[in-house]
Formats: sequence, C-alpha cells, structure tokens
Amino acid sequence: MEHRWGMAIDLDRCTGCEACVVACHAENNLPVSTPDQAARGRTAHWIRIDRYFEGEFPDIKVRYMPVLCQQCDEAPCEPVCPTYATYHNPEGLNVQVYNRCVGTFYCANNCPYTVRYFNWFAPEWPEPLALQHNPDVAVRPAGVMEKCSFCIQRVKRAKQDAAAEQRALADGEVQPACVQSCPAGAMVFGDLNDPASRVSRLANEGRATRLLEELGTRPKVFYLQKG
Amino acid sequence: MVATAIAFVVGAAGLAAWGLQLHSGMGVTGLQRPVFWGIYIVDFVFWIGISHAGTLISAILRLTGASWRKPVTRAAEAITVFALMIGGMFPIIHLGRAWRFYWLLPYPNSRLLWPNFRSPLLWDLTAIVTYVTGSVIYLYLPLIPDVAQLGEHNTPWRQKLYRLLSLGWTGSDREWHALERAMKLMACIILAVAVSVHTVVAWDFAMAIAPMWHSTIFGPYFVTGAIFSGIAALVLVMAILRQVLHLQVYLTKHHFDRLAKLLLLMSLLWCYFTLAENLTVWYGNDPKEMAVFGARTRAHYAPYFWSMMFLNFVVPFVLLGIRRLRTIATAAVASVAVLIGMWLERFIIVVPTLANPRLPAPSGFYTPTWVEAAITAATFAAMAMLYMIFAKLFPIIAVWEFKPHPQEED
Amino acid sequence: MSLYLIAEFREKERAAAAIRSLRAGGIAPADLDVFSEEPAEFPRGVLDRPSRMSLVAVTGAILFGTLATAFIWWTQHDYRLVTGGMPIFSLWATGVITFEMTMLGAIVSTFGWFLWESGLARRRDRSAPVPPIEPGSMCLRVRCRAADPNPTIEVLRHAGASDIQSRGEA
Repeated sequence: MEHRWGMAIDLDRCTGCEACVVACHAENNLPVSTPDQAARGRTAHWIRIDRYFEGEFPDIKVRYMPVLCQQCDEAPCEPVCPTYATYHNPEGLNVQVYNRCVGTFYCANNCPYTVRYFNWFAPEWPEPLALQHNPDVAVRPAGVMEKCSFCIQRVKRAKQDAAAEQRALADGEVQPACVQSCPAGAMVFGDLNDPASRVSRLANEGRATRLLEELGTRPKVFYLQKG
Repeated sequence: MVATAIAFVVGAAGLAAWGLQLHSGMGVTGLQRPVFWGIYIVDFVFWIGISHAGTLISAILRLTGASWRKPVTRAAEAITVFALMIGGMFPIIHLGRAWRFYWLLPYPNSRLLWPNFRSPLLWDLTAIVTYVTGSVIYLYLPLIPDVAQLGEHNTPWRQKLYRLLSLGWTGSDREWHALERAMKLMACIILAVAVSVHTVVAWDFAMAIAPMWHSTIFGPYFVTGAIFSGIAALVLVMAILRQVLHLQVYLTKHHFDRLAKLLLLMSLLWCYFTLAENLTVWYGNDPKEMAVFGARTRAHYAPYFWSMMFLNFVVPFVLLGIRRLRTIATAAVASVAVLIGMWLERFIIVVPTLANPRLPAPSGFYTPTWVEAAITAATFAAMAMLYMIFAKLFPIIAVWEFKPHPQEED
Repeated sequence: MSLYLIAEFREKERAAAAIRSLRAGGIAPADLDVFSEEPAEFPRGVLDRPSRMSLVAVTGAILFGTLATAFIWWTQHDYRLVTGGMPIFSLWATGVITFEMTMLGAIVSTFGWFLWESGLARRRDRSAPVPPIEPGSMCLRVRCRAADPNPTIEVLRHAGASDIQSRGEA
C-alpha cells in the first residue's frame, strides 16, 4: 500500500526552542535574511513557531505552536496554481515543483495557514553558511514559491535504501530535519496508512486536533494538546 | 506637446522600474508575507474595470436603440481597447518570474504539461483574450467606413495606412448590410463577454477561501463597479476631448447630462452592493471576517475605506443628484472622484484581507514602494499616449453614424 | 468588360423606386449595387440581401466551445495531476472557459463571415467602377447585360436620377 505521510506535534511538550526552525534551515538550504528584510516580513521559515500570549500579568501563559505546511489532502493551494507547480503526489504530499513556478502568488493567498514563502530576491548566504548547503535539495531562484516538503529528499533516500536492501520501511526510519532535531521529542513523523505506526496511534488519540479543521482542508499535521 | 513629454517621462520611469524589478526580484516592491498581492493586482482590476466603458455605452445603448450614444461610441470603444491592453499587462508585471508568463498558454512543451485549467487565473486568461479580441473587432468594424473616407486626402504614409485598414471598402449596400448585421451580433456577444470578464476577475478573489474574499456577491459587485468606473472614465475622457478637440457642437450638454445620470445610477447601485456585503459580514460576526472588516472600517485601512465611500457616493450624489449642480464641469469632477474612489475600492478589497490571514500570527502590513507607484503612473501615461495617438489618426466621433443627423435626439 | 450605368439620386425614395422598376424589368439584384455614405435603409422587399451571419456565428460558437472543452478534457486526462482533491475534469470548473471560447468562436466567425459576406475579402471584379459618393446622395450602379442600355437609362431617368453616366462597353 502507498505511504501516506503525516506528522504529530505534541504541544504539551513543545518549549518553543526553535531547534526545528534552525534544523530546517540547514537541511533545506533556506535563504538567510537581513535585519532590514526581516523587519519587512520577508523571512522564510518553512517551519515557524507561532507564539500566543494568554492572560494578564502575572498569570501570563505563552503557548508555542510549530506551524509548517500541513500537507492538506484537499489543499486549497493546489487547484489555483495555473502551471501545476503544486499538486498532490500519490504519497499524500503537497509537492512544490520549483521549476514550474512562475510566481503568481495565488497559492500563498489561498493557504489558510500562511505557510508558503516567496523568494523575494536571489538567495544569499553570508560566509561560511554557503558551504553548508545540502546537495540533495535545490537552491531556489528569485521569483519562486517554496514551502515545507516534509523533507521529501529524506523520504526518497529512505525509500531507495529500503528498496536496495529489499525490505519495507520501518516506522520512524524517515525523520524530517525538524522531527530529528526536537530536543523535547515533541514531533513524530510516519505513515498514516500504517495503523501500527506511532503517528497513526497519536493521531487517533483524544488529544489530537488539527488546525482550521472546519475549512475542510484535511491537514495531515496533528496537534496534541491538553491531555 | 508638454503633455506628450510628460507622458513619455512617466512612461520611461515606469519601464525603468519594471526593469529593476525583473532584474532584482519582487523584493523591490512593498509586498511581504502575507500580503502577496498588492498594487499591481489593484491596478489590474482597476483597468479591466475601466474597460467596461465602451461595452456599456456602445453595446447596451446600441441594442436599446438610444441614438444619443452616437457621438460617444467610438471614444468609449477606444477606452475599452486601450484599458484592456494596459490592464492585461499587469498579470505579467506582477509575476515573480514574469519572463515565463507564456507557460500559462496551452502549447506542447518540454515540461510535458498543459496549464491547469481549474485555476481561476486561466479563466482570467481566456476571458481577457476573448474580450480583447472582441473589443478590437468591435472598435474596428465601424471604423472601416470612416477610414475608407480618410483614404482620400492625407499624407502618403497615412494614405497607405488608411487604405490598408479600409480593406477596399466602397460603401456598397452589401457591405453596409453585412456591417450592420455584424455590429448587431457583436453588440450582443460583447455584452455577454464583458459581464463574464469582470465576473471572472472577481472570481480570482471569490474562489479563494481568504476571509471577506470568499463572497458570493463578488461577481455582480465587480461588474457593477466596473461599469461604474467605466462610465466615470468615459465622462472624463469626453470632457477632455470636448475641450481639446473643440467638439462642443457634437458633445452637447445633453450627452453629459445623460451620462451623469447613468453615473449617479451606478453610484447608487455600487453603494447598494457595498452595503449588502459589509452589513452581512458585520452581522454574521465571523471572527476571521470581522478581523478584516475591523481593519477596513476602524483600524489601519479606515482612511482609505471612508475616503472611498465619500468619493464614490457622497460626491456623485451631491454633484450629480442636485440638478442645478449637474454641469459638464461638475460631471468631470465627479468622474475624477469616482475614479480615485474605485481605485481605493480595489485596494480595500485586495490588501486588508491578505494582511489579516486566518492564523493571526503571520499578520502583516503593506506599504507600496516607488517601483509600484512608478509602474502605476506609467500605465496612466500609456493610456493617455495611446488615446492621443488614436484620436490623431482616427475620427473620435463615428462620422458615418453621426453626420447625417447631427442634432438628433431620441 | 461589361457596361455599367451609374445613377446619382438625391433622395432615398427615388432610388428605391428606381430599384423597384429595374427589378420589375428583370434585372437581378446581383447586378445592382447602391453606394452611399451611410447605410441605405430601404424598406423591405426593395433590395434585400439574405444573410447567413447569425447561423455562421452560432455554428462557429458551438464548434469552438465544444473543441475547447474537449481539448481541456483531453489535457487534464493526459497527465492526471491531483489538485486539492478536485476531480480530474469537472464541467462546472471548466464552464467558464467553455463560455469564453464559445464567445470567441462567435466573435471570430462573425468577423470572418462579415469579411466574406460584405465582399471585402473576396476577389473583386476590378473592372466594376466605384463611384465617388457625394455627401447627401447615393449612387445606384446597374450592370447592364442587355444589348441596348437605353431602356434602362429611361427607367432611371423616370425614377428621378439627377445624373446618369455609363462606363465600359456592352
């Protein structure tokens, strides 16, 4: 059976340390912004930590929510792209094809989670960051939309290794950079089509919810909170 | 002479700005996450809206047999064609990789892919291509007899141009019959196309699930707004033509009076739609929509919203509704007010929604830069230039329709 | 080279009368042409030119719309890419393009047929003289196939032509 990749994020464990953000930058060749551009809202973080403050001093609670592309099964960003630069692949991933993107911005406008990022300029890395590029991931030119891909390069590498060794993929063998780097172990990645996988069991827990579920986008990132 | 020079300079500045944008990337604009569509899209909708001038005056009035339209039709149809050409540039200008715009066209390619016809942007493309083709033909058809007459007395290169364009028109009854039948058919077709074009442009927004975009009223709302801004543009252009080309005999107070009444009617209709949209949103109290509504009416974008209401409703109502105030000059003033107001309306529709996304954390702002301002200004300059060239080469009043009955009233 | 008679009329009614008389005398409408500065609107039955333009427009519209829709159906099935859980081909989603292409078909057919029906795009008979049109008058051009043009000239004069010329030879 086809894989159907999904993720579970335990908000009760997340400390907002942003290790996942940094790991994603390193893994996916994300461009580095300048302070001026950051002030103008031009940074690109495929996974970002949204911070919400609740209550009045001194009873303030801060809530952290890592938000990344939800890889919606009925993604609103997909039908509106005129060049099929984003579409749904058979493994349930919302794929972004950089070389088909002409930059109409429609997908980003239609994403209710605002998880799509645009390359406003040609990407730059101050030395020596440019030496740290991941050769498995394309460097995007100016004018192209990008977003979290569930580290599809790692998925592919794992599948190739498993096929070479003529075995099935084990649960937890594929780990996107953010999942791998989380020190609190708050993120779990796996195959939702496998009922025995950890992510499937977590997704069916009482604590599991999804963001903006009422929109009918059928996201595949499950947030666990308030046990 | 001075006007041409200014238009040239402004146009050149716009081209330079676009060149910079193509070279450096979209970062030179004021766009930022989450406001991915800004002034370019506002301009796009604005110019396509203006293009409805010709269709209303020419097609609807032709079909209803209103003969007061006769001195006005060609001016209106010319506005349509040029506004479409200019508006049609913006889907290209706003692209992140504008040099690849042709990937939206269906042709066999090495990507082994056809465009995604489910996307409202492709509907836009087909609608605008159809409308441009139709408008050019609709402008050209009644031009043929006039051009044939011009072929007689002119400079040599103009003679060649006019002879070429006249297709050897002799004025025989066969030709006249065919022309009239074609015009009647074209009027019906162009009317249907015009309604569909601005509906499709509206659906660029309405098909998205962004708060206060996903509104069923957008189709008719945009068509109404388009006709509204189109008439305003027409009144302004006609007032200018009347002065500059000394057409006082042909474009009389009567014509402006009727157009002013139409403008007032459209203002009321537009106001009705605006009220319907905003009242239902406010009463429904959906939190995501209320965030946008609040941004529009009370917070950051309030100055634009209330200026828009003043310019689109109060000014036309006072200047055109009170009979003693309704003159050619005040009609022109009201038209300028409406044009500014309608531009603001497009801005109010596009930006606040994007700045207030469904997840509140990535909310943002939008401040246009000089690049966007320069390109916008350049389009106005381009419109003025194209129109001036057209008015110089061709009679702006359809001679064959009008000459025999210069003072006819219906 | 045929013989052409060109008669100038200052009033529409006289031209109409002349045409009626000529047609009663057996001259075919194909041999008659009226040149004017504005559309010569004669009453029904005087000089009707049957037109197929509506039929052509509708046919062209339906044809083009159907072709465009079929094309989209084919392209979307040719490389099946799933977007947003939507069906591969949906008539409703394609409906807008179907409508626009139908209209485009109508536009192009109308214009094309206009060029044909008006005679502008057809090969013309260069030998047929085109009279210059004075403002306020219209010229009737009759192709005289009869050996003797004088009866025709008489009919024209009787109807009230202000000026009659003949060009070419019988």
